[in-house]
Amino acid sequence: MVLLWLLLVPLVAGPLAFFLRKRPAMEATNVAAFAVVLVLAATLVEQVLQSGPVSYWDGFLYADALSALIVLLTAFVALTCSIYAVGYFRHDEQNTVFVQAEDVLGEMAAYKLRKYYSLSPLFVFAMLLVALANNLGVLWVAIEGTTLASVFLVTFYGRETSLEAAWKYAIIGGVGLSMALFGTILTYYAAHQIMGTDTLAGLNWSVLVVNAAQLDKPTMRLAFILILLGFGTKAGIAPMHTWKPDAYSEAPVPVAAMLATGVLNCALYGLVRFYILTSKSLGPQFASQLLIVFGLLSMGVAVPFVLVQRSFRRLLAYSSIDQCGVMVVALGFGGPLGVLGMFLHMTFHAVTKPLLFFCAGNIQQHVNTDLFRKAKGGLIHSMPWSGAAFLMGTLAVTGSPPFSLFQSEFTILRGAFGGGYVFPAILFVALLVAIFSGFLVHIANLVLGPDPGLPKGETCRWKKYSVLSLASVIIVLGFWIPAPLYRLIQGAAGIVMSAP
Amino acid sequence: MIEVLVKSVIQLILLLLVAPLITGIIRTLKARLQTRRGPGIGQPYRDLFKLLRKGMVVPNTASWIFSATPYIVFGTAALVGLMIPMTATDAPLSLFGGVLAVVYLLALGRFFLALGGLDTGSSFGGLGSSREMTISAIAEPAMMLAIFTVALSANSTNLSEMARSAVSQSWRFLAPSQILAFSGLFIVLIAETGRIPVDNPATHLELTMIHEAMLLEYSGPYLALIEWGASIKQLVLMTLLVNTFFPFGLSSSWMISGLSLGLVFYLLKLLLLACCIVLVETTNAKLRLFRVPELLAVAFILGALALISTFLF
Amino acid sequence: MSFIHDPQFGDRMITLMAALVLVLQIAMVGQRWLITNIRLFGLQSFLLAAIAGTIAFFNHSNHIYIAAALTLVVKTLALPIILERIVARVGIQQEIEPLINVPLSVLISGGLTLVGYIVAESFYHPEETSAPAALGHNTLAIAIALFLIGFFMMLNRRKALTQVLGLLSMENGLFLAAISLTYGMPLVVEIGIFFDVLVAAMVLGILVYRIGETFDSTDVSKLRRLRG
Repeated sequence: MVLLWLLLVPLVAGPLAFFLRKRPAMEATNVAAFAVVLVLAATLVEQVLQSGPVSYWDGFLYADALSALIVLLTAFVALTCSIYAVGYFRHDEQNTVFVQAEDVLGEMAAYKLRKYYSLSPLFVFAMLLVALANNLGVLWVAIEGTTLASVFLVTFYGRETSLEAAWKYAIIGGVGLSMALFGTILTYYAAHQIMGTDTLAGLNWSVLVVNAAQLDKPTMRLAFILILLGFGTKAGIAPMHTWKPDAYSEAPVPVAAMLATGVLNCALYGLVRFYILTSKSLGPQFASQLLIVFGLLSMGVAVPFVLVQRSFRRLLAYSSIDQCGVMVVALGFGGPLGVLGMFLHMTFHAVTKPLLFFCAGNIQQHVNTDLFRKAKGGLIHSMPWSGAAFLMGTLAVTGSPPFSLFQSEFTILRGAFGGGYVFPAILFVALLVAIFSGFLVHIANLVLGPDPGLPKGETCRWKKYSVLSLASVIIVLGFWIPAPLYRLIQGAAGIVMSAP
Repeated sequence: MIEVLVKSVIQLILLLLVAPLITGIIRTLKARLQTRRGPGIGQPYRDLFKLLRKGMVVPNTASWIFSATPYIVFGTAALVGLMIPMTATDAPLSLFGGVLAVVYLLALGRFFLALGGLDTGSSFGGLGSSREMTISAIAEPAMMLAIFTVALSANSTNLSEMARSAVSQSWRFLAPSQILAFSGLFIVLIAETGRIPVDNPATHLELTMIHEAMLLEYSGPYLALIEWGASIKQLVLMTLLVNTFFPFGLSSSWMISGLSLGLVFYLLKLLLLACCIVLVETTNAKLRLFRVPELLAVAFILGALALISTFLF
Repeated sequence: MSFIHDPQFGDRMITLMAALVLVLQIAMVGQRWLITNIRLFGLQSFLLAAIAGTIAFFNHSNHIYIAAALTLVVKTLALPIILERIVARVGIQQEIEPLINVPLSVLISGGLTLVGYIVAESFYHPEETSAPAALGHNTLAIAIALFLIGFFMMLNRRKALTQVLGLLSMENGLFLAAISLTYGMPLVVEIGIFFDVLVAAMVLGILVYRIGETFDSTDVSKLRRLRG
């Protein structure tokens, strides 16, 4: 039942916001809905930890530890983004960022806000469906659904650059997902040969994983390549990453944060499900090599763009490409440590990335630009909390101790050496160091420095407290991870490792 | 020997009579579709008779090529017509060559026509010749590919053999290689006979004419021969199209009963193809000259795909 | 009329229609006028629905009939209407010169068809030749060719709407591949995919309209403000 409620709540909250007139009502509905979703997600986690996989509707919806982890992370990010969005859009509305001068009654503003508050729950619904769907075809439909729900969120500000970003996002995402659909069709073909049934269960993951060893090898090889290219486009693996910097810099900050964590996790989730099937059928070698190559390529592609970057929003996008590469490489390294490292990294990343986006959003709204040279420096004087949190978040996301991401990356490295991938591990470390230095230099220049005399910028409580709460979570996670969460991550890793 | 002679004569008479008829039908249908009345189906006959009786003016600067061209154009077209099965599967002169001979004889006629256009030294002639050569440079390979596809399925390049094997397999025309070859050959037909969208057969504007430009200096009987030759060539290509792909009604022997039935079916098929040509002509505008290679490239690819699909299907 | 129930006849009809689908796709590559391209797409979808219908007829399976009906309604009727309306509102009629000129792109499409044949060869199992089950197996080559040519069209063309048509051709190819490999996906998945395609086309259409309004042109090579 909890599976059904998880899907129904955002599905209802979206259109509901469409009919509301006043901004406070919309904000309240949104935050309340996502709070309920988070509670339901926690309930699901508890159920899965206690009694194993949960299924509903004759196996149509299915949640094991892996799904439950993704659901929990998505719900958490959705709630924090919706809390932040309250303050963010109020600031935008006050500064008439998206309102024409003649719009006296504020109708345009209400229309825009309605667009965000009705589309973002649908967006979250699609992401939750990705994690909860058992059928691989429905998984594809849901991932395409996340693209469709977020295109108009990316064009939110209606600028020329927004349209360009949304166009690239839609088209590149569309092409990638077509390839993923082809991979899904091929998987179904391979399944059809061993299952021989026409019913819905033919594509159900829980059914396929049992018989996966008999799947036709050449078919699965081609299918996995297509899936990697397809879902990799949605995740932002190089060379299909070109839409990311545009989309992340043009979308409103809450949307960008959800894109960077929610969609990334969902795309990687899809990739992991197919990876499990493929490695049961072909053995782990084939898929691992591909994953390591693409992962290292993503990290490598991100390096020059991080070092020479003019906008801090685009910098965050390249950091996201890099982090995605880290997770993919971790999956490629394999072995119990590599996979555990990947899921740890996913969890910690889901907490850290929104913080970076929120701080960036605060700064951007304060100085009205996202270019480094226009924002000058010394922002810590006018925005002490955001500036400090941004700096701290940079250190965290690039993997400095004592933050949690350092532990996950260390686990990944141990997995690499355990699997015998010495040269890739060295390359991995080198690229991490390069990104670390570039990223830190940019942010340090932005945040530290002499006081440029800007007015105090942290007046909004919603934004400040979102930043502060996330920052404290990150600090805490660096030292202590709650036992149920750790068991959940281990459970997810266990599902992947059940492949021989 | 006598048999071959008799068959050739019969087929030749058929060719000479039916060719202007088809031209007349196409013109009348086009006129009717454009809500005009048109000059009537018999007009090409009247034109030919008029031209044959008229006097001729030959330019001073022309050489023997100018005088030889009408005979060569007419002769090659008629010769090719004798090599193609029209009402019976057995063409009279089929032993003398197959599709390659057909293609090269048509090419010979076109070559001399282009030379004749250049021979007079007028700029219009040269203009028409160069345009004609550009188009035929791509149309010819496309035609060859399409015809070779049919030859492959019949295991022979002899046209009578191809017609005979086509008659024996009833649903063969539904095979994708045949459909692709037919589409490619149809586009080549449009290009070779100078119809819209490749060339306008009724224009005399410098900007738009291709075939007409080469004929500007001809008059009297020479013009009659060239016009007749052109309509025979059109008939020949149309016959190739209908009889190799849809060989219904082709009689297997030269008995009078078989021939007359074959003639009826043949005229019916020609009428259908003429309707298709008229539809294409009326619904399209003439392409710019530099766009014509694009159309012919499509025909070439269709021919290539047809050839490939005989191996793969 | 007994030949209508003969699987051989069905096989021939399906092969014929698949060849026509390929011809239409190559025509779309070489075609300049946007309205004609949209209509070619509609005709192609109609043929795909007919192929699905024929396979359903010979296999007596309802869910393929439903897939055929969905293709008919969504891709043959709804999508061309939506796209033609967008073209009318934005006011662009014609494609500009593609990146690779037309004869060469038509040649490349022919080459991609060959690639499709080669890839499909590895899926052809001669031992599965029970007549209704093997129906349409040779259309996989055309499906892959459609997919590749659609992808090529997206790279080659500069008008936004033609890129959308390329994406939709890729989806058409995938539909044909699903039909020929496994007689379609499970019904729920099919419905989901159609819904997605419809919404995606509408979303892209709206984007094209807004790009046309904002940039006064739907040439995507003008979308180059975001760099680095």
